[in-house]
Amino acid sequence: MTIKIIEVLITGLLMGGLYALVAVGLSLQYGVARILNISHGEFIMLGGLTTWALYTALGVNPLLSLAICGPVAFILGFVIHRTLFKRLLASSASPAIFESNSMLAAFGLMFILQNIALLIWGPEIRGYSYLVIPVHFLGTLFGANRLLTFGLALVIGLGFYLFLSLTRTGKAIRAAAQDPPTAGLMGVNINNVLALCFGLGAAMAGIAGVLISMCYPVHGVMGLEYTIIAIIVVVLGGLGSIPGSFIGGFILGLIGSVVTFFEPGLALVAYYVIFILLLLVRPTGILGR
Amino acid sequence: MNTRKNLRQIWLLGLTLIFLALLATLPLYAPTYTIILMTSILMYIVLTMSWALFSAPTGYISLAPAAFFGIGIYTSAILGTRLPLPAVILAGSLISFCLALLIGALTLRLRGIYFAMFTFGLVELIKNFWLWYEIQFTGTRGRFVIFVDNTTIYYVMLIILALLLLVTYLIRRSRFGLALRGIGECEEAAAHIGVHVNALKTATFAISAIFMGAAGAIMATRWTYVDPYVAFNPLYSFMSVLMAIFGGIGQPYGPILGAAIFAYLEEILITRFPYYYMLIFGIVLIVTVLYLPEGLIGLVANIRKRVAGGQDALA
Amino acid sequence: MATKGWTRREFLRGVAVAGAGLALSACAPKVTPKPAKDKIVVGMSRPLSGPQAIVGDSAFRPVYETFVKEVNDAGGVYVEEYGKKLPIELIVYDDKTDVGTMTRLTEKLIVEDKVDFLWPACGTSFIFAQAPIANKYGYVLITAEGGATTIKDMLPSLPYVFVTLSFSDWYQLPVLAELLSKKGAKTAYIAYIADLHGIEYSGVAGIEFPKVGIEILGVKSIPPDMKDLSPIIRDAKAANPDVFCCFAYPDQIMPATALSIELDFNPKAWVGGPGVNFGFYYTAFGPATEGVIGFTSYSPKQSDAARALAEKLYAGKPIDVQDYWGHPLYWAGLEIWKQAIEKAGTLDQKKIRDIIATERFQTVLGDTWFENGLLSKDCHTGEIGQWINGVYEVVGPEKWATAEFVYPKPPWPKG
Repeated sequence: MTIKIIEVLITGLLMGGLYALVAVGLSLQYGVARILNISHGEFIMLGGLTTWALYTALGVNPLLSLAICGPVAFILGFVIHRTLFKRLLASSASPAIFESNSMLAAFGLMFILQNIALLIWGPEIRGYSYLVIPVHFLGTLFGANRLLTFGLALVIGLGFYLFLSLTRTGKAIRAAAQDPPTAGLMGVNINNVLALCFGLGAAMAGIAGVLISMCYPVHGVMGLEYTIIAIIVVVLGGLGSIPGSFIGGFILGLIGSVVTFFEPGLALVAYYVIFILLLLVRPTGILGR
Repeated sequence: MNTRKNLRQIWLLGLTLIFLALLATLPLYAPTYTIILMTSILMYIVLTMSWALFSAPTGYISLAPAAFFGIGIYTSAILGTRLPLPAVILAGSLISFCLALLIGALTLRLRGIYFAMFTFGLVELIKNFWLWYEIQFTGTRGRFVIFVDNTTIYYVMLIILALLLLVTYLIRRSRFGLALRGIGECEEAAAHIGVHVNALKTATFAISAIFMGAAGAIMATRWTYVDPYVAFNPLYSFMSVLMAIFGGIGQPYGPILGAAIFAYLEEILITRFPYYYMLIFGIVLIVTVLYLPEGLIGLVANIRKRVAGGQDALA
Repeated sequence: MATKGWTRREFLRGVAVAGAGLALSACAPKVTPKPAKDKIVVGMSRPLSGPQAIVGDSAFRPVYETFVKEVNDAGGVYVEEYGKKLPIELIVYDDKTDVGTMTRLTEKLIVEDKVDFLWPACGTSFIFAQAPIANKYGYVLITAEGGATTIKDMLPSLPYVFVTLSFSDWYQLPVLAELLSKKGAKTAYIAYIADLHGIEYSGVAGIEFPKVGIEILGVKSIPPDMKDLSPIIRDAKAANPDVFCCFAYPDQIMPATALSIELDFNPKAWVGGPGVNFGFYYTAFGPATEGVIGFTSYSPKQSDAARALAEKLYAGKPIDVQDYWGHPLYWAGLEIWKQAIEKAGTLDQKKIRDIIATERFQTVLGDTWFENGLLSKDCHTGEIGQWINGVYEVVGPEKWATAEFVYPKPPWPKG
């Protein structure tokens, strides 16, 4: 019985770590740059498919792909913000209008990225086996790939958190999140910071995609599914908060594994019940301001 | 001055009626497929307009249209064989209305993005719960819907649209509409000057759900077979929002324009450029939002300004 | 969101503008009437985008593309009433995996484009929605992806609809049950996706397995969007069944396989589909696929015709693109379509329908015919497949087997 409980809990945590990493980028993009980036999942998809392609065609280790997909996604995100969202910010009459316009633009981006991925890779489901080995852990079994992705998610999440709280750039980002005009007055180049944020969000999505491809099949139309997961996690944890994303991710993962243990058919129902209840009770999320 | 304004009003009313009449006589001379396509476009207009009925003046972004639309669809699938068509549609609207009242009352505290998220979660909750229920208790996933001929569907949709136009118009010119806009501008201030903010919000939200439910109930008969994933597809929520923003929510005709052009453009793309549909569509969305931040109505305003400018120069 | 006051004037103008837009779109250019027949126009509404794209583009698309190219390279389909061969021209629309769009586009193909033939949409529920429309307009519809016990009951009222794909009680699971019981399997655990396909397969297995003395230890449903299947695999492992069945799609079959390896869950038989039957399953798991069971309908080893088809579809392509369950049946469906037109000597749907319904055809499967709207199960050249030494073999029914059924399957390779 104890083993069962441990199993269910660890299963939930492992899933939660991945959910958290999926959400961190979106949290940053919405929390700071005020862009509800519906195309978030497409960056995850690009990360996953690139990793698959590199692994099967050239035998590139997925861990090495982390170092490739992260920076490439960052550059892509940065450039997209500098060219697209910066202009939208300037042309939108109010923050509310910017939010709705940027959502529309993100939808457009989603369509474009998805179509490009379908043209390059086709829609087939892609999978590869990497570290699919059972590992004994606390009296029960887990896949080595899952433990590895969990560890990486934690390390990357923590690293990112430290980056935001300790470095100068990180402080500028947090200042911009709290009070953009004042941050601007204090000498923060707001446009640069926002682009940086969007780029970092994209990089986190790309990295999450790499990790996901180690455990799950990937394909060209998977993006929206992960965007939705990210949105739920972000709302659960609180917008713009990295620890919040992790708490949200863990909660979602745990609910999933506990409910699935009893009645798998209700797992998703449980997600949304919790989601809705939490919104009613604490609209700003667990760690929200 | 006043008579001139009245004259223009009468003229516009006449024009509206003429277009409605044109649409009403369409099945007499248009080819079958035009009717089918128009039904689909009218459906999007109904969804987008009823979305805008609540969301445009108040500023609350609702992602619930798919929920009410889906309720309508399932009402049709369940009651379709037992009740006559008008009763089915009425039932779909009523159930949607009641659900919307409940949601409205529950979400009074939620503002901004949280309201959007709540309504989004609601659609997913209904979809997943209903799927579980169907499998667990009815032992199936989908249901067949009664068959209704295309012309009837078209007329029903047109009637729904006409009623929606009427309701939108009545709300806009009443004190009700004025108070609603007050909420959009500053909810606290509106409450201060004696607006029953909560009741007003909930009522409008529920009224907008009536039309979405009705649209779902009639559309289901075109789809023949529905399951929870088909009926409660969040895409219909996103579409309503996108079409409204695309058209522009600063003016009442924005959502109508947005829905009609968006739906027609999509039809062209998926049939003429099926392999590049998303690519082109995505580019169109981005270009629109870049160059017309107020939506298509911005374009209309620009043209009007130019035309008016030209007239001034002539005079 | 600041909104300016909407006056009645503006409102009415809005209505007028919209009306004008609608009227304009109503007057869209029409397709001009076709001149004397010089081609056969075939229309399809396919999911080129949206969730089903991952199914449609690897299932029916490579088959119809290869088929059309082959037929056109040979000059086309001979139609007697025109006294010549007519090449096939395809019209493909994207239905975005949306049933509403699919039904609309199907009617567009029929009433506006006036295509000569309709080829099928993708997915069982899509067929459910499309079949009554095709039937209403009297268009022959030979389906591809999708088939279900439920449709068997509908077919008598849909004389124009013909289903090619094999499915649960037509005649996969009875064969599977027999194979397993012969080898002495006593217990089974079933996980199924919460949709039509899963419900039906688990339902049929619930009937067929006990018939041959296989006790069902547990049945769990998987919601379509669920990511983590490990609680289910753990539950199955705890039940310790001889047979594990996962009636779901590749999206679940692939993680379920990975999890079975990770959690060291080694039932004597591991059954999954659709998913195991695809080449990309082998690409993903390599030697670990040894002994995994799925559904199938043929093997290139069975005949020259079968080998030729595999050559046409897969030569020079990665193993990813293979599908030994669907592809041969879809191909046979297209062959029947072509032969029926040639036999009828006309493009008249009614005559062609009658020929398809009553006559026999020579296809890649050999002698082939429809029985009450279903491809006769006697034409299937295989039901159950198994990966053996990196090849997807037919193992059941015995009559068509290309290899001996391996039971128990070897444990997952370590490391």
